[in-house]
Amino acid sequence: MSEAGPVLLATALLKDYPMNGETVHALRGVSLRVHRGDYVAIAGPSGSGKSTLLQLIGGIDTPSSGSVEILGTRLESLKDRELTRLRLTRLGFIFQRFHLLPVLTARENVELPMAEAGLGGAERRARARELLAYVGLGGRADHRATQLSGGEMQRVAIARALANRPAVLLADEPTGELDAATGQEILDLFRRLNADGTTLVVVTHDQRLAAEAGRVIHMLDGRILGD
Amino acid sequence: MIPVSLPRWLGASGLFCLLATSPAAAQVAEVAIERALARELELSVGDTVRLGTAPDSMDRRAVVAAVYEPRPDPAEIAKRERHLRMHLPDLAALLGVPDQVDRLGVGLHPGVSADSAAAALNRTAFGFRAYPSSAIAAESSQTFLVVSRFHRAIAVITIVASAVFLLCIMLLKVEERRMDAAVMRFVGVRRRTIFGALLLEAALVAAVGSAAGTGLAFLAGAATNAYYRRFFDTALTFSQITPQIVLFSVLLSLALGLAAGGLASWRLVRTRPMVLWGRG
Repeated sequence: MSEAGPVLLATALLKDYPMNGETVHALRGVSLRVHRGDYVAIAGPSGSGKSTLLQLIGGIDTPSSGSVEILGTRLESLKDRELTRLRLTRLGFIFQRFHLLPVLTARENVELPMAEAGLGGAERRARARELLAYVGLGGRADHRATQLSGGEMQRVAIARALANRPAVLLADEPTGELDAATGQEILDLFRRLNADGTTLVVVTHDQRLAAEAGRVIHMLDGRILGD
Repeated sequence: MIPVSLPRWLGASGLFCLLATSPAAAQVAEVAIERALARELELSVGDTVRLGTAPDSMDRRAVVAAVYEPRPDPAEIAKRERHLRMHLPDLAALLGVPDQVDRLGVGLHPGVSADSAAAALNRTAFGFRAYPSSAIAAESSQTFLVVSRFHRAIAVITIVASAVFLLCIMLLKVEERRMDAAVMRFVGVRRRTIFGALLLEAALVAAVGSAAGTGLAFLAGAATNAYYRRFFDTALTFSQITPQIVLFSVLLSLALGLAAGGLASWRLVRTRPMVLWGRG
């Protein structure tokens, strides 16, 4: 499934946090290469550094040292505005707790990144409806986020993450708030996304999700144990 | 006719009046009484009253020739006095001092300056002093000017307190959005967009607040007027909300709302997304 030239390249990432007067080493030299079409699961116990790794490769936090490249662009070299633009157009984020804007409908939540990217109203409405249909929520487009179930909210969040056709979809415990049956629906959706060509990097405790991924990275104490 | 003041309970000073129900007789004086007095004494046109300067000397009879509605006067309202009007000779005869007048009003032809008329009278007359009505009005309005300044001071304090309260509300509202703002930043929404959205929300809150406040002010004003008009039995307007006041209030509310919302939003968007996320 991999092609030449990584979509995402992380090299020797170190991340230290000051905590109660001491330094916590969240990542201790992590390197990662993800190619187009990969489905990567990052697994490990709590505190192993997997979420920190996802934040660094997603450009929402900065490493103490090391570098991250998305499609050949080094994130450290970007100004805040450029990094924001890169997150908007190249990356898609899915959170454990969905984090939809409650005052907006499902369609409006999906439209938000497209509006920010400058897409015209008609075009983004059409694409939002198309994406919601893709995740199985064609009939719920005009419901507010608060009127949706947990599984439905996560589907909307996935549609939102796909809005600007990102190079990589980053998900942090996407089934963590869902029951087993609903979690399975999300796994099925991820499998379908990957089969349709979406590159996925998923942080998870869920063994089923890890088993679905084509590649599993095990982390412990800020290091990669196995890939 | 000359207006004569009566204390409301009709017996302490000046002039006394006793209700009589006999029909009007010939040669009796005519008086006009104000509506409130007529209502309180259950008098109507044609009734006869006895007048005097003391309770034991009410030997003058007068017939009620008219019931009138006095022009509302805020300077008079708290005095709780009642008035009747008599012809000057009748009043002089009643008081027994034909040549004694405390106050009298002089009507001027249209176009004649009150100031110059007063000056002319003061130059030629002896034993009294003439004032233009504007000077008397200004003098009698001093209390109201003081009250007005007091109201203004209360308004300023209220506005300052409201501004602080509004700022706190806006800060709290914006603080509630920390997670939303962090997620929006993560998915690539610019600071400017978030700031604009929050500012728009602040403006909407201020606009809705000022509309609600204006509505409430009109209701409170109507209730105030209804209560005090009934209490003082007058047609005076106690609370008045002019278009200028509404405009000033709405603009001030919008300005304060935008300032408070802008300050709170600016603080939010300047914070690093990871700090907003609670992991910074």
